[in-house]
Amino acid sequence: MPPDQWNAVALDSQIRASSSNPVIVNDYAVALWRSASGQVNAWEDRCPHRGMRLSLGFVEGEQLRCIYHGWGYAPDGQCRQIPAHPDLTPPKTICARRHAVERRYGLIWTNLADDPQAALPDLGADEGWVAVRSIFLTGGVQEARKAVAGDLAEWDGTVSDGDVVTLEMPDGTRLAAAFQPVDAGSTGVHFVARGPAATAEGRHGLARQVVQLRNRIENN
Amino acid sequence: MTITLHDYSLSGSCYKVRLMLGFLGLDYDRRQVDFYPGRQHKRPEFLAINPLGQLPVLEDDGLVLRDAQAILCHLANRYDGGGTWLPRDPARFGPVMMWLMFAGGELMAASSARLHDVMSYDLDIDAARRSARAAFRVLDDHLTHREIDGATWIVGDHPTIADLACFPYVALSGDGGIGHEEYPAIRNWLREFRKLPGFHAMSGIPEYV
Amino acid sequence: MTATTDPVARNEWIACGWLGQIRPGASHDTMVLGQPIRITRKAGDGYRIAEIGEDGAEGRELPVQTRYTCIFTTLGEPSRPLPEIAEFDEPDRIVVGCGNVGVNTSPYRLVENFLDMAHFSFIHVDTLGATDKTEVLAYRTEHRKDVDEIWAVDCTFFQPAASKAVKGGQMTRYQYRVMSPFSVMLYKNISEDSDRNDAICVFIQPLTETRCLAYMPMAIVDNENTAADIADFQQSIFLQDRVILENQRPALLPLDPTYELPTRADASSIAFRRWLKAMDIRFGIYEKQAA
Repeated sequence: MPPDQWNAVALDSQIRASSSNPVIVNDYAVALWRSASGQVNAWEDRCPHRGMRLSLGFVEGEQLRCIYHGWGYAPDGQCRQIPAHPDLTPPKTICARRHAVERRYGLIWTNLADDPQAALPDLGADEGWVAVRSIFLTGGVQEARKAVAGDLAEWDGTVSDGDVVTLEMPDGTRLAAAFQPVDAGSTGVHFVARGPAATAEGRHGLARQVVQLRNRIENN
Repeated sequence: MTITLHDYSLSGSCYKVRLMLGFLGLDYDRRQVDFYPGRQHKRPEFLAINPLGQLPVLEDDGLVLRDAQAILCHLANRYDGGGTWLPRDPARFGPVMMWLMFAGGELMAASSARLHDVMSYDLDIDAARRSARAAFRVLDDHLTHREIDGATWIVGDHPTIADLACFPYVALSGDGGIGHEEYPAIRNWLREFRKLPGFHAMSGIPEYV
Repeated sequence: MTATTDPVARNEWIACGWLGQIRPGASHDTMVLGQPIRITRKAGDGYRIAEIGEDGAEGRELPVQTRYTCIFTTLGEPSRPLPEIAEFDEPDRIVVGCGNVGVNTSPYRLVENFLDMAHFSFIHVDTLGATDKTEVLAYRTEHRKDVDEIWAVDCTFFQPAASKAVKGGQMTRYQYRVMSPFSVMLYKNISEDSDRNDAICVFIQPLTETRCLAYMPMAIVDNENTAADIADFQQSIFLQDRVILENQRPALLPLDPTYELPTRADASSIAFRRWLKAMDIRFGIYEKQAA
């Protein structure tokens, strides 16, 4: 049973309209896809037909199409077209497995539990958060969180440790690091910021600092 | 005056040249080289054309050129009147060259991983994948900053031979067991490249975008 | 993995090398069904195959056959001979092998992909399929009990460029033949002479349950193209399929018909899975390994 837990899996700005993307959460493969109109979906990365990864598929309008046979799935998961049989209405049993997905704080979050009850981490108001960048660290999520919190503690400002690690910077900028447990050997860390540094110039600076953080952690 | 490409369909390096010829709308003759399993590129007849025993080789109006990156420079220099694929201004020429060398250098580790997995080349696969991932990270870091600027391409506002040279072995890396999960900016760049007018896929790169 | 104990898999002939791969006097180490083996080419054209023990020394000697450009062996006592494919004996055909290609998946995913026509329009665009002609017309499947083979007959599909020799689109007629869990072939009618079909095989060497080498011997009717051109065409097709094969989850084949949902176009895959289930093969089967 997957834990009832929200994990950040990408920066919202990096999941483009009409794209399907591979994301791994706790060894489980997710196809994170965005329709042409901008709706985000997190599905099991497996076509119900012949097991093909849907993250390699393509998006056509509001449908995700499997690359193998072109089967088309609507956002409700239902298969709507089977090109091998153009006149066939696909049976209701052909349905992709969907997972809970939310957009907040400039991040995309998913919860793999069958019946999610947990609340999203609370970072206050949703407005004003912008993407900084994502990094991937070697090692499991506990190890990565500890390393990131430890490194941020050396920056100017005040660190709050939690599911999301945040840093209040002296200029009033708030930097947040949200964690994606990939597998035992890899963790994604997605950084977003709010406040004075949430400008293009500020984001360049923060992104460079995050890369330096990654390099310091890896050299330790 | 005809252009002749000594070519192998499954070679990512040959694909660089085919893509460039396609983008420039140039006709050419193809000489099929049996790279695998025939190893025709190591036979005396081919070594007479390229003593390094590597594909691709381009013959153009008396010139015999080896090295995909050198061939891209030649084609852009000679046939791209607008100069968009190989910008000459100082702000862009140097960066384009830098990423072009990266494509022929560090990124080729991804080609090694592919040769191992597909054609059973005897090499250190873990080392090849590690090196390829290190190179992908350098490219993803760069493209992340380009995204912050609202830009799409490696250098400037248009695709250049830097994008073209980096594209094949990054796009084909799954063939060598290297996924794109950890490289969101690379994924977006690959998708935009595949949408370019005149783009054509090769085996290992899906036709649909 | 260690060598499989599955008697069904062990009692099949399995391709393990291609003619020309090993120089006279040299040897090549590889694996079948998890069992390391050494193939030695004798001074002439003969081959010797032996298991390699945990100590690295050669152990039990294994049977050898060379046919259809390939070297075959078996770990057990084969219940069936190598298949007869008469096309390879016709002197005016071009017979081509393509070396082998590594694929990280189970052998049956390879067989099923080879049997499948519905992917032509998406994976083999402009050669074996056209984006606007995706329909798979009804065809028949048969379990030929006398030879214990699965056949799919009366198959047709619109193809823009069915082979290296064909110029222009046409309805291509196919027959598919599964000769063993690890070997499959098709007869493809592309010439004007309806009696002369191209014969294209895939012989699979399962190194482990989820890593294979695929051999693609072909006996082709073609007066224009060289063997290298034909091999290039076939390799290009196969590397388009390889992306699919390496990205199917799970890699092992599920036989539970509710786990992966078929449609009419999958009749050959349905027949193949039933046949595997009936023979009770365990090697490379999802449920057998999960249990």
